[in-house]
Formats: sequence, C-alpha cells, structure tokens
Amino acid sequence: MNKIESPEESRKLLNKIVFDLTRSIVKKDELTRFWFFILIMFSAVGLWGWGIQIDKGLGVTGMRDYVSWGMYIANFVFFVAVSLIGFLISSTLHLLNISWSKPISRVAEQVAIAGVALAGIIIVNDMGHPDRLLNVFIHGRFASPIVWDVSVVMTYLTISVLLFYLPLIPDLAILRDRMGDEVPKWKMKIYSILALGWNGNAKQYKTIYHAMRVLMILIIPVGLSIHTVTSWLFAATLRAGWDSTIMGPYFVAGAFVAGSAAVVMLMYAYRLRYGLKEYFEDIHFDQMGKLLVFVSLLYLYFNVNEFLVPGYKMKAAEGVHLLNIFVGRYALMFWSVQILGLILPIILMLFRFFRKPLPLTVISVVVLIGAWFKRYIIVIPTLEHPFLPIQNVPAEFHHYSPTGIEIMITLFSFTAALLIITILAKLFPVITIWEYAEEKGIDKKYFSEQPKS
Amino acid sequence: MIKKINLLIVVVLFFSVQQGISQEWLVPADKQNVKNPLEYNLENVKKGKEIFMRECKSCHGEPGKNNALALTPAPPDVASTTMQKNSEGAMFYKITTGKGIMPSFKATLSEDERWLLVNYFMNFNPKKSPVLVVAPPVKATLSAQVDADKKLVTVFAEFKNKKGEEEKLTETPVNICIERAFGNLPVGQVITNENGAADFKIPNNLIGDEEGFVTFVVSLGEGFEAKKVVLDKAKVGTPKETPKLIRKGVIWSTNDNIPMWMLLSYLGAIGGAWITIGYVVFQIMRIKGMSKG
Repeated sequence: MNKIESPEESRKLLNKIVFDLTRSIVKKDELTRFWFFILIMFSAVGLWGWGIQIDKGLGVTGMRDYVSWGMYIANFVFFVAVSLIGFLISSTLHLLNISWSKPISRVAEQVAIAGVALAGIIIVNDMGHPDRLLNVFIHGRFASPIVWDVSVVMTYLTISVLLFYLPLIPDLAILRDRMGDEVPKWKMKIYSILALGWNGNAKQYKTIYHAMRVLMILIIPVGLSIHTVTSWLFAATLRAGWDSTIMGPYFVAGAFVAGSAAVVMLMYAYRLRYGLKEYFEDIHFDQMGKLLVFVSLLYLYFNVNEFLVPGYKMKAAEGVHLLNIFVGRYALMFWSVQILGLILPIILMLFRFFRKPLPLTVISVVVLIGAWFKRYIIVIPTLEHPFLPIQNVPAEFHHYSPTGIEIMITLFSFTAALLIITILAKLFPVITIWEYAEEKGIDKKYFSEQPKS
Repeated sequence: MIKKINLLIVVVLFFSVQQGISQEWLVPADKQNVKNPLEYNLENVKKGKEIFMRECKSCHGEPGKNNALALTPAPPDVASTTMQKNSEGAMFYKITTGKGIMPSFKATLSEDERWLLVNYFMNFNPKKSPVLVVAPPVKATLSAQVDADKKLVTVFAEFKNKKGEEEKLTETPVNICIERAFGNLPVGQVITNENGAADFKIPNNLIGDEEGFVTFVVSLGEGFEAKKVVLDKAKVGTPKETPKLIRKGVIWSTNDNIPMWMLLSYLGAIGGAWITIGYVVFQIMRIKGMSKG
C-alpha cells in the first residue's frame, strides 16, 4: 500500500479503475438481455406455480400429515445458510483488517441480500394461507423460535441492505460525477439521489467509517442469531435427528461452507463476464479456497459429532432415523453429500492447483449442490419417522417426494435470487471503487475530482 | 366327461346358493305359520314400538319415512310391502335368526319382546286396522324465563284448540336442556299445571361457562309443534374451571405465562438491534447535511 505521490499517476490509475469497475453497469449486449429473459421467464413460471398452490392449497405439494416440512423448508434453510457469508466476509474479515477480503465484500453482501430476501419469501411459499402472514405478528408467541426467526431474518435483511449501501455512497458520488451518456438518465438519477450529496469531506468520511463500524459489529450477533435460531426451529423439538445440542454451531459452520462456495462462483462469473481479472485475482481465489477448506473442516468436525455420537448409542428412535440415512432410503444422498460435497473438496483444495479460479469454481458448484441436499437430509428423513407408528393413512403419507409444483417454486427461488444479484451488479459496481483505489495508494482527494474530458 | 358334469353341477349349485343368499330369505314352512301368542292391542303395540325405537330404528329407520341406512342389502322399511308380505311367523323367525348384516336377536331380546316387535309391525299391515295412530302435531306456544335470584326457570305453554282459540296447555311434559359445546344437554323435565305453567328448580351444582353463564333451551316433547325457547346466558351456574394446559415455568408457552426473563431477552435483543439500526440510519441522514458545510 504505497502512496502514489504523483497526481498525474493517481488520476490515470483512478480513471482506469473506474472504467474497469463500471463495465458491469455499462455493458449491455445480447447475452445480458438473454440472461434477464431466462431469469424472468423461470421466475414467472415459478410464480405461476405459486398461483396454482394458493388457488388449490398445499395439497398440490408432496407434503402430508407426517412430512409437513418438505422441500420449501429445506430450501429456506439453504438460503439462510448462503446469506450468512455476508457477515463473515464483509464484517468479520473486515474488522480483522484482512485486506484480501476487501474487494470481495460487496459480492458477499450481494449474496447475503439475495439469500435472506429469498429466505423470507420461501417461508411465505410454505404457507397455505399467505394472507394470514400478519397473524404471526399479531398473535405470535414470544416464546416461539418461529417468531424469533421471523424477527431476526428481517433484522438481518435490513442490516445487510445498509451494509451494502453504506460503502456504496462514495462510489455513487463517483458514478454521479463521472458517468455520462453511456448510462441512462434514470440510473443517473438514482445515483444522484442515493449519493446523498456526497462531496468527500473529512466529516463525511468520518461519519461513514463510524456507521460502517457500528453495523459490522452489530451484524456479528445478528448474523450468528439468524442461523442459530433457524437451527432451533429443529433443535427445540424432541424429534430424532433434530434433538441435538450442537445444532446451532453445526448450522453456522455449514452456512459458511455454502456461502463461501456461492461467493467463489459469483466472483468467477464477474471475473469472466466483466473482465475483472486484475481485480478478482488468482490470490483472491487462493485465499477463498483456503477459507473454504477451513470452514469445511470445521463443518466436518461438527458432522462427525452430529452423527458419530448418536450413532455410537443408537437410542431407539434415533437408531431408526440414523439407519435410514446411513444404509436406508437416504443412504445414497447422504454419502454423496458427505463425500462429494465435503470430504473430497477438502482434500482437493489442500493442493494449490485446485485453488486456482476455474478448478475452485467447479469445486464450489459441487459443494453448493451438496449443501442444498444436506438441508434436504436434515429436514425430511426425521419427519418420516414420528415416535408413534404411522397407521390407517394412505400410502402416500408414509414417504415424501416433492411434486412438480414444489420444484417449480423452488426453481423460482433460485432464479429470483440470481435476478436480485444481477440487478445489483447492473446498477452498482461489484467492487467498492473508493476502497479499492485507496488500497492501491490513491489519495481520497482525487475521488471527487471531475475528470478532464 | 363325468368329471365335467360333476363340475358343472357344483358350479350351478354354488351360484344358486349365492343367489339364495343375496335375494331370497327362505323361512322353513313350520316356522312360517307359527301364531303370535300375544294379543294385537294398543298396549302391546306401544311396547313393541319402544323396543323398535331402541333396537331397530338405527338401521331400519322410522316406519313409513323410508329413512333406513344405505346398506347393501337395504334394510326394508317396516311399513313397506317387502316387510309386510311376510307372515307373522316369518317376521319372528327372521328377527330371531338374522342373516348377513341383519343380526340375530335371539340373545338380545326375549321371545316375548320379539313377538312384541311383530305386534308393532302389524300396526302397519294393510290387512289390519292400526291401533296406534299418531295424531298430527298440535300447534303450541311456549314461553319461559329465568329468575336468577330464585334459581328458577318458569315455563308457560298455550295451544290452539279446534276452535282456533288459545288455551292453556296442561299436564304436558316440557324438556329443559342447556347448551353445551356439542349439543343440548337434557337437565330435567317439568309437567305443566292447570294454568299451563311449570317451574324448574335450577340445581346448585350446575356448571356454566368460564363466567358461570348458562343458556337454557326449553322445548315441548313429541306431538307438539312449538318453537324452542332459548334463554341466552343467565348467570345461574358455577363458573367452569379451565385448567391451564401448559404448566407455569415451561419456557415454551403462551404469551400469558411466558417467563419474564424470556420476554425481556427477546424484546431487549430485537429492540437493541433496531435502535442501533435507527442510529445508523440517522448517521446516513446526517451525511447529506454535511455536504453543505
């Protein structure tokens, strides 16, 4: 971080950085339109499925009396998990002054916002009567983990949006001052309004640093709560497979795995699509790979605890549940998730080669898919084994398999999350310009200068 | 060849037996003509009706109303020709032995009781004149009120006589019920006096709702067409105890008995987070003001 003394050099470098990092905003080609078209089409199909579900009721899903939490809840847990990365990268690593994480923090915040927003929507998907959502707030029990979860999801969403917005303010001013005809007028208007008349004086910087610091500290307990409380939705019951004291940290560790994988995928997409090779460098992927190994090892440790300890004892109901996932109906899914989605990636990522951008991205895709199925295994098999025998019910009540409409709505959640991320990337730079430029040694005073054109 | 014929015979026999089971209920000739030892008179028919209402009505329905249960084969209506073409002896035989879904009443009803039933069936026989005739219902008016202090329900009944004049309804039973969650619970019956009035003494241990309110439903019995009187919520009962199903001190509980530390922790955590968020938003708003300075 050497300070660049020459004004000429500073201006030149700043211009280049701004040009590179606004490419995502300016770029507008066939592929962009096609991408939007695909996302909107799939989202619309999912919404249509949701319409059918609201019209006909939850009977159109595979959920019945016994398995009353299906793919939606598994998907909900997955999205909450993915969103947790925002708190790890843009707060914890930031507070620890780990400089390689700085260019990644906005990517992590994008994932966090999209993840937690969709998590909220998925819960509404799971309701037979979404029109009664307000009852949760009017008649909710303060002692219920569901009420805690709703509260904390909303809090985390708000903090994530603010933590996305705060470091964006100086960037918005740069965009407002420097972008011209290549950006449509409405976008310029948005920048101008959101920039809050930023002119980069010392007082403003002081305020923004202070506010960011407050939020970064606040998001730590809230971020930990969001996934711990989500785990309590399960752990606060007596059901075999859920009745576990380590559910909270187990979920949090798993969340870091899923979130890191999602961030790596997004970094690679931006690097490729917006030509940001010099910004998302190989070293960033290398470090993300190390982070992923670390959190995966942590998650593996919790997995060993979560399955070995009850497996050693094989208590009656717990034993039925464990045999079902070890050697029964869910064995293939369980072992694929544990080996392909956790153990194999850990081993591979220990080698430098697999932490290079492309191999790491491929591994991240596998890890993320594994993370999704892991949530499925956490939610569904337990419900198929109630303590009392299942009797006198239609055969379809015994086992759960998702229906087409459930899959449609689940696909919607993915396309909607990608849509949110895409819109954010199309509106705002994917890397914080001013932080990055400062890191490169450019003095703050150049940021608010108008470029000579 | 012979084997084939044997097989054919067996098949034919099998089907004929099947047919017999499903359609014809054959009564042995000696049972067919057994005479009813009891006299066909009003008293015996009334007794038979009582047994019928208790033992048979649930499947066969009320005579002449064709409201039997939808079973296969269908239980015949007592007044129908299917029933009435049977001889008295055949009726007695069928009640005694039963067949298929019709149970045998040999063990449940004495021989006399079974004959009494046959007597009741004869009341609907076209060849005999009925002895028990149900009169058309009398139009009546019922009024009632609750005296909470004296703990009395006072009833008054009138009816329209043949001339169309209002007349006091005397010596008539009036049913007193109270409304419960799943229907009306009979608590007593009073007989009207020469003034058409009657008093029902409300028992002291009558349980009302959570606040002790009781809703009485007063009605006339069979043979009368009168509106029920519903006396809404009189404070004459003892309050119903509603045990708290979740014991106090349990963490997962309703908002009524949530532990205070839990409520404060929840509100404190969420409130603290939102106050901090509010502080940050306030800082953001300040940024705008700073640009002018």
